[in-house]
Amino acid sequence: MEKMKLFAGIIVLGSLWGFAECIIGPTMGDAGLPSGILMTSVFAIGLMMISRMLFKQRGMQIGMGLVAGVLRFFNPFGGCVVCSAIAIATEGLLFELVWYKMSLDFSDLKTITMKLSMGIVTAYSCYVGGYIITQILTPIVASAGFYVENLILFMPQILARGLLAAIIGGITVPAIFVFKNINISNIKDQIYYPATAAISISCWVAVIANALFLMGS
Amino acid sequence: MIMGKEKLIPLAAMVLILIGAGSSAYVYATQTNTDNITINGQQYTIDQIFHTAKLRTFDSLNFSGIALDDLIIKTGVGCLECHEYTIIGDDGYQKTVTWKNMQEGLLTKDSMTVFSDLPKAYRIKNVVKIEVI
Repeated sequence: MEKMKLFAGIIVLGSLWGFAECIIGPTMGDAGLPSGILMTSVFAIGLMMISRMLFKQRGMQIGMGLVAGVLRFFNPFGGCVVCSAIAIATEGLLFELVWYKMSLDFSDLKTITMKLSMGIVTAYSCYVGGYIITQILTPIVASAGFYVENLILFMPQILARGLLAAIIGGITVPAIFVFKNINISNIKDQIYYPATAAISISCWVAVIANALFLMGS
Repeated sequence: MIMGKEKLIPLAAMVLILIGAGSSAYVYATQTNTDNITINGQQYTIDQIFHTAKLRTFDSLNFSGIALDDLIIKTGVGCLECHEYTIIGDDGYQKTVTWKNMQEGLLTKDSMTVFSDLPKAYRIKNVVKIEVI
């Protein structure tokens, strides 16, 4: 895989993830939907699975998490921005850890049981891990002090909320396999680079414009 | 005997589902009644609280309610700055804040805390208890 192609892939998929976190997530939250759960189990897991499937490279998901985290940082609304940005990057790292021993050609995931199980394990780990990180960082960043007993007493609630994320993740991962036969190397450079650049720029412009609009209103 | 991925991963998924389901059952079973709020060991209804403490409004956040610092003063807590205050929701969610934060906080009629100087994570819904520690 050409390094530039991979880099463009990280930027575009990370930007789409960040866009979803900044624009789609709050909209879903306003509509009364469990936005945190849907963000992780559908958007984050979905995009990281797509990247794994199309590019077949380890480490890419950490890069995507960092890009999405930085983009989240540009949208200074919805609570602790630094915490959300770090939680997003953490989800990328947790995804890498869960998938580290899995083959890059997905030969381990031949059966539906394996696909579904990996979806459950990935979504649960990413959601619960990201949630815990946020709960630890928010009081520290807010200078209110972190109290470990607050986290321990809330752990059953975090573990319970992970159940829905796990179930949705169990649907997302097998569903992403529709992209399995797409070969990114077959896409011509003249189309690939302008398309990834246009999508990435659109995501960043939309997030920054949204932030400026919210600041003005 | 080394367990293969084809056995280990479904087993891990099953364990996580069981942890999630077990935690859900525990949360449901331990959910607290929200009719009263216990402050420093004393029970109050939300109406009593609203008659006791003075009102506070955060125009920029579009929230109004009773001032948390005044509520604590009215409930007879001494040496206010010596303590920290743990606010607990009916789902077990809890956050500990300082007296300085309490001076920037309010409790809405829906029993939710809002702090003008703290992130949204400190908006605790269905408050059932405020512990003075």
